[in-house]
Amino acid sequence: MPARTIIHIDLDAFFCAVEELRDSSLRGKPFAVGGKPEERGVVASCSYAARRCGVHSAMPTARAVRLCKDLILVSPHRQAYRQASENVMSILRTVTPLVEQISIDEAFLDVSDLQEDPGETARALQARVYQETGLPCSLGVAVNKLVAKIATDVGKAGHHGDAPPNAITIVPPGSEREFLSPLAVQMLWGVGPKTAERLRNKRVYTIGQLADLPEKVLLQEFGRNGFDIAQRARGLDDRPVLIEHEIKSISQEITFQKDLSDEKRLRKTIQDLAEQVGRRLRQHGFVAGTIRLKVRWPDFTTFSRQFTLAQATDQDSVLEGVAQTLFSQVWKAGRAVRLLGVGASNLKQGIYQLSLWDTPDEKMDKLMKVMEELRERFGDNVIQRGGQLVRKH
Amino acid sequence: MKASVSQQQLAHGLGMVSRAVSPRSTLAVLANILVATDDGRLRLSATNLELGISCWIGAQISEQGAITVPARTFSDLVNTLPNDTVHLELNPATQSLNVRCGMSNTDIKGIDAQEFPPMPTPDIQDGIHLNISDFKEMIQQVAFAASTDEARPVLQGVSMNISEDAAVLAATDGFRISVRRAALSEPVSKPVTAIVPARALTELARIATDGDQVVTMVMPPGRGQVVFHMKDAELISQLIDGNFPDYRAIIPRSFKGTTILTTNAFLKACRQAEIIARESNNVVRLSIQPGGDQPGKVEITAQSEETGSSENFVEATVEGGSLIIAFNVRFLREVLEVIKTPSVVLMTNANNTPAMIQPAGDDTFQHVIMPMHLG
Repeated sequence: MPARTIIHIDLDAFFCAVEELRDSSLRGKPFAVGGKPEERGVVASCSYAARRCGVHSAMPTARAVRLCKDLILVSPHRQAYRQASENVMSILRTVTPLVEQISIDEAFLDVSDLQEDPGETARALQARVYQETGLPCSLGVAVNKLVAKIATDVGKAGHHGDAPPNAITIVPPGSEREFLSPLAVQMLWGVGPKTAERLRNKRVYTIGQLADLPEKVLLQEFGRNGFDIAQRARGLDDRPVLIEHEIKSISQEITFQKDLSDEKRLRKTIQDLAEQVGRRLRQHGFVAGTIRLKVRWPDFTTFSRQFTLAQATDQDSVLEGVAQTLFSQVWKAGRAVRLLGVGASNLKQGIYQLSLWDTPDEKMDKLMKVMEELRERFGDNVIQRGGQLVRKH
Repeated sequence: MKASVSQQQLAHGLGMVSRAVSPRSTLAVLANILVATDDGRLRLSATNLELGISCWIGAQISEQGAITVPARTFSDLVNTLPNDTVHLELNPATQSLNVRCGMSNTDIKGIDAQEFPPMPTPDIQDGIHLNISDFKEMIQQVAFAASTDEARPVLQGVSMNISEDAAVLAATDGFRISVRRAALSEPVSKPVTAIVPARALTELARIATDGDQVVTMVMPPGRGQVVFHMKDAELISQLIDGNFPDYRAIIPRSFKGTTILTTNAFLKACRQAEIIARESNNVVRLSIQPGGDQPGKVEITAQSEETGSSENFVEATVEGGSLIIAFNVRFLREVLEVIKTPSVVLMTNANNTPAMIQPAGDDTFQHVIMPMHLG
């Protein structure tokens, strides 16, 4: 695998930062976002001032209030967090399309292909996120996801004071082991309290000590997981940044090197484009309900014409037939064309095997969809899982 | 150990047991075959801890003993030996097996037989006796429908239900179900319900030689295992723990359309369609057309943008309206291959509900297939 550059970005005390934007009087004060103590709520996020009193997230609110008498409790505004998160993610996607969002306030970016110095990219990104959304964030830069995330954590942990950390930690390629070596084993992904305890019994406290253990010992002690732990302790991680996005349309276009007016060549181009679109539809298992033709003239004016089929298709001949008809409607003999494009949208899942009974995944999907719809219409509290209901007498 | 056996029988026996060998196990002895003298015969055994196969071959034994030898080495060697007597002799000091036949003389390094996992000796008296050729046919009609998805272990098995005087085997991968019933020649005293790995049953069907022989099935209590015992061979398998889905609820009770086709013609048409369809998700479209006064027909088409298209007609007696329904052609082919009657019945309701295939005039075999959805 060629050398990669991965940035991990984590918004600092994200919920609190959003609350501070909503209410500037909270700035610098100890406050926490979470459920009310009388409702057995827990702290979802707390400000850096609150952290200094020992409050941390997932702590019962009642306990947080005991620790920090001046603690201001703020009820969560989930819609605002979702919106803020979306704004940040869309900024990240302008840097590279290779963005993997791992939670509401965390993401990985694969910037291996960017020419810019990665440290510079990280600094520019941090500044832009703050400028455009008012939210502080910390970043870690390394050759893989594992080390990049730990770099962010290390940067944040080294911070003290009431202001957000705004940390940037760069681990230059080749220095992964050196960087990880002094850190506590718990900072490694996959090393929980149980594993950490078993390692302590072997007098292994730091990642460096862990990396020095013979792989055989780890395999004996932790089985298959031992192999993964050994890899991670050495700073090795080849997981790619996974992008997940819904495909809404598939299109192909071509700009001619020289404007083209020869009908035969124009029509042949449409045929090629339709076949490319068809192939990609079939690869993804989609059928398209709408077919679009795009034509740009030499003066840069652009025409788009689309046609909706009675029956969705993934067949080249149908795609091409429609595209050619649309072309005949906009093109007059002899007119020069700068660009041609064929697109398919209104995509549906094409041919697939039906199941005899709903798999658990399908059932869950249906349930989630219905819950989502109800919440959109009637608000978040309209439906809850049975397990979340608190008995009121 | 010192024994002489016929090369042919030895090669046959090794072929039988070697399917249970586990070549890549962390336990080295599982890549080996146990060769042991046993009550005047030579016993060969292999196991991967889930499936174990033993067979016994006639031998002239002059000294008792046992050893395990690497399956691959031993089988490859025996397969190249002339059709003659093979002399096997264990050297206990070096734990190696000397194999002599004709001009050939080979020493194979082995592992002590003590390290080979013990195979239970079942009490055959308690067993259920099944006719081998009947049972083999049942397995062939059912086991192929089991899932190969390791994430759903229960579906990798065949549900086996034996009560009083009937046995029912069923398997499903979530897209199709195969169910086969058979009457027992002798009633059982207590009913049996178990999920047996499809792989074990397929191996059993492979090693069971035809004829009027009997296979005895024993489930030693509390071991989670099943043993199939035959005259010269034995197969032991772990049972699958879990609940088999209630397939009876899924088998439709009534159908709007009934189409009767010649099994062979239908199978041939599916095989041809598959050549094209395998490049496009295995999908074939069946257009069922009633004939009015004429005989009806079923048009089977497959289309692949990459390889081409194919069309086939099969004459049929169609009751009910016309219907276009799509199937995974592999599913159709696999069931048609195990239907023994000259005619087959295809029963349908709609293009998105389960269809059933049955041998004409035989309701002991039911095969339900879910169609494919066309976008």
